[in-house]
Order: sequence, then C-alpha cells, then structure tokens
Amino acid sequence: MKRLALDELNLEAQPGAFAGTLMNSSRDLVARVCQGDQEAFRLIFDRYSRPVIGFIYDMVGDRDLAEELTQETFVRAYRGIRGMNAETKLSTWLFGIARNVARESLRARVRANRHVDLEDKSVLDLSDNEPVPVERLLSKELNDLIRRSLATLDEDKRVVFTLKVFHHCSYEEIADITGFSLAKLKSDLHRARAEMRRRIKPYAGVGYEV
Amino acid sequence: MKCEGCLELLEEYLDGELAEREASEIAAHLITCAACSAERATLAVEQEMFSRYDRELEVPALLWEQVAEQTVSPLSKPVSQNGFSALVASWFRVPSFGFSLATAAALIVIALVIGMAYMRTQKPEPNKVLAETPRPITVTSPEPKQVPKGDQAEPGNRDFVASNGSSARKQRPIRHSTIDQSDVLSADTGYQDLDDQDTAKHIEQTQNLLRSIRNVEVNDNDQEIDVSYDKAVSRRLLNENIVLRRDAEMKAKFPTKALLSDLEPFLIDIANLPDQAKPDDVRAIKERVQKTEIVAALIGY
Repeated sequence: MKRLALDELNLEAQPGAFAGTLMNSSRDLVARVCQGDQEAFRLIFDRYSRPVIGFIYDMVGDRDLAEELTQETFVRAYRGIRGMNAETKLSTWLFGIARNVARESLRARVRANRHVDLEDKSVLDLSDNEPVPVERLLSKELNDLIRRSLATLDEDKRVVFTLKVFHHCSYEEIADITGFSLAKLKSDLHRARAEMRRRIKPYAGVGYEV
Repeated sequence: MKCEGCLELLEEYLDGELAEREASEIAAHLITCAACSAERATLAVEQEMFSRYDRELEVPALLWEQVAEQTVSPLSKPVSQNGFSALVASWFRVPSFGFSLATAAALIVIALVIGMAYMRTQKPEPNKVLAETPRPITVTSPEPKQVPKGDQAEPGNRDFVASNGSSARKQRPIRHSTIDQSDVLSADTGYQDLDDQDTAKHIEQTQNLLRSIRNVEVNDNDQEIDVSYDKAVSRRLLNENIVLRRDAEMKAKFPTKALLSDLEPFLIDIANLPDQAKPDDVRAIKERVQKTEIVAALIGY
C-alpha cells in the first residue's frame, strides 16, 4: 500500500540519485558548518528554529523577546559549534544554549525589576474561578491559561516542565540541558505538574469525562 | 504493588522513564486497581490539554537574515595569497569548471524531482482513505466536542510541526524516510514513520467516535436512535483498523497491535447497528466503552 509507494520513491535505491538530500542528518550538518558551509547552518536553523523559539517563549513569555533571544541562541551556536561534543545531540545542545540565553535575559529583567508576567495577579486568581467545561473553553482561552500558568512557575520548574511536557525530552536530555540532578528534576517536574494541575483544574472539571 | 507505590511512580511510568520491570508491575497494578487507573486517566486528560497548547508563534522570515548577518564570516577562512607568489600561482592556475558542473548537477536533480513527481501523480493512490483529512464527527451527543489537534501527537510530541501549510507536511515524509533525524525535535519525529502517523490519525478518529457514542443520551422513552453517521464512520474505521493491525503485527509493534485489537469489537458492534438503533443496543455499547476505559487507553497512545 502506502509503503510500496514510498519504496518506489526511495531515492537511495535509485541509480544516480542525488546524494545531497541524504547528507542532511544533524551530524552531517554540524560537520559541514564546521567546514564553513553557511547553507548547512541555514538548514539547522530551519530545522530547529521553531522548537527553540517555542521553548524560549515558554521561558520568557514575551514574543518579541523570544525572537530576539532565538537570534542570539543561533548566533552563539554558530560561534561555538566547533566546540560541540560529538556525543551530544544537536537538539540537546541547542536547547542548552537557549536555556542559558533565556536565563540571562530573565535575570536581567529581574534586576531591572520588570518581571511583571511572573506576578500577574490574574493568574493567581484562576483557581477561585467557577468551573467551566473544557468543551466550552475556546482554544485561545486554554492557550492563554496555560501560558499564564506557566509564568507562575519558578524558573527551574518551568524549564523542566516545558522540556518534558511540550518538547518531550527524556529525563536524561533534560539533565544534560539544565545540569540538574535526576532527583532534582524529578522533584521539580512533579511539583510543576501539581501547580499546573491546580491552575487548570477548574477548567478540566465539569463536563470533561475521561 | 500497593497503590502508594504505584501513584508515586505513575508520572514516570507515563513519561516512559521506568525500567521494564517496574513498568510491568505498574501496568499489572493498573489493570486491577480502579483508583490508580482513574488517576492515570486524569493525568492522560491533563496531557491531552497540554498537547493542545498552541503558542501561535511563527518564526519570522527576517530572523534568519538577522542571524546570517552575524554569522557571515566563515569559520574556515581561505588562505590569502599576496604579491609575487599570487602572480606566479595565477600563471599555472587550471581553469575551474566547478560552478558550471554544479549548475548542471542542480538542473539534473531538478529534472529528476519533477519527473518523479509527475510519475507519482499518474499512479492511483490505493490507500487514499488513510491519508484523508479527518472529518469532524458531529453525531448525537449532548455537547459539541473539541477535536484534539492531530499534531500533538505527539504521542504527544506534536508541538512543533511546521505550520506553513499541509503541502509541506505531505512532502516531508518522503525525505525523512531516508534521512537520519534521530535528534530532530518533537513533532518532526512523528513524521518519520508514515505508518505511525496513519495509526495516530486513525486512533484519534476512533477516539472521537467512541466519545460520541459514550456521550449519546439514551432515554427509555426513545423508540429509536439515529446512528447512521456513527455507523458509516465506524465501517470506514473498521477497514482501516484491520489493515493497520495487520501491519503492526508484521512489524512486531505489539502494543499498537494490542490496542487496535481491543478497538475492533467496538467498531464491529457500531458498524453492525441498524441506522435507527434500539436504545438498549446503543446503551450496551455505551456502557462497555465506559467500563473498559478504552478512550483513556486511546488518549494514552
């Protein structure tokens, strides 16, 4: 069926097939960037810019700032790619840089006393709301609720929760990205889930049968 | 295993982080313990809600240009030649055809791609049903359903699918099937295997159907209930289910095969209902869906 159709189109099996498209594994791309291939870095950017900007946005809660920090992340990645450990996954390495960039920005904001999002009173009041069936909750409202609830988590919990729940990283990858011990990240993840549950619970109550 | 131990490890179990022995102990406990099973279902519902999270965030086109501006200086700079040595070198320089060869190769590649695309469009698509966009199921249920986004698949991992149109998505798997992208993040990995993609879509559609059945209001006063649409959907899903189950079995994907096997009796029963079904028949299926918690199992897929 579909698999047969795929096999017919498998370029690897075709004589004279162009090898270029087969050389795009992340490891190959990194090797090419190290040789000065700007196009390879463009491919890395195309592949990873979306998850990276999403992760940074989850961390800082600001669209414009997320774009700016994503740019900074990729510039740092380009400059440091030769020092990248060959055993490290490219995605883990990029998330590590993104996390550092986001953390520096958050700390700068705290110093500047502009961490308004983290003290958004409307988020804190959510748990007192009357239950609303999730079916009636527009996806935009749910997105908004999750975003604001994320902002109430402290930084360590937020990074662990985001990497696990939204980016589906393994515990090992999260430990590599954050430098946390396994015990700490498990504890943070559990607490983050509990806090998020408390925020979301009013919306998941009535009418949301499993 | 006791409930305390199970609940303590439940999140890790759902995260797929437990060792095989512990995971099998939890699985065995969940079969026998309704309370822990309900807790698992709650966590699955939460996960589903989070999987719907859409940041509505695009990567601006200008972002790459800004990155490129700061990374133009090549990492490996060519060695420059000056003065007399450059002059001598220029006398013995062999003309380079690199550019023209590269251009010719690129043209051949483009021609090949266009040719293959053309040949493909000439062939019938035997599995068109599986590739169809899922239709929203609006059957006789008391409240409108929110159909979960197919992306979040991602088995969770579904956050980061390119949002630049379905055409991009359709083309991707062809390339990914031959490319090592073991470290590509999130939803991209969901497109590495077309079978998994089809199975996920199938399970999502089946989940919607079973939810509809579960939410049907059955009153004793009703003479008949119109389930014609559910029935038609179930017949289509049943055919898909059989194909996918056999495929999963051949590829030794036993958990998937087991889940699809569990689904089949429900699909058969719904497909065999008359268009105007008796309330007792519908109620029997509805109660079985509730008791077996099949929907929770599908959410956890």
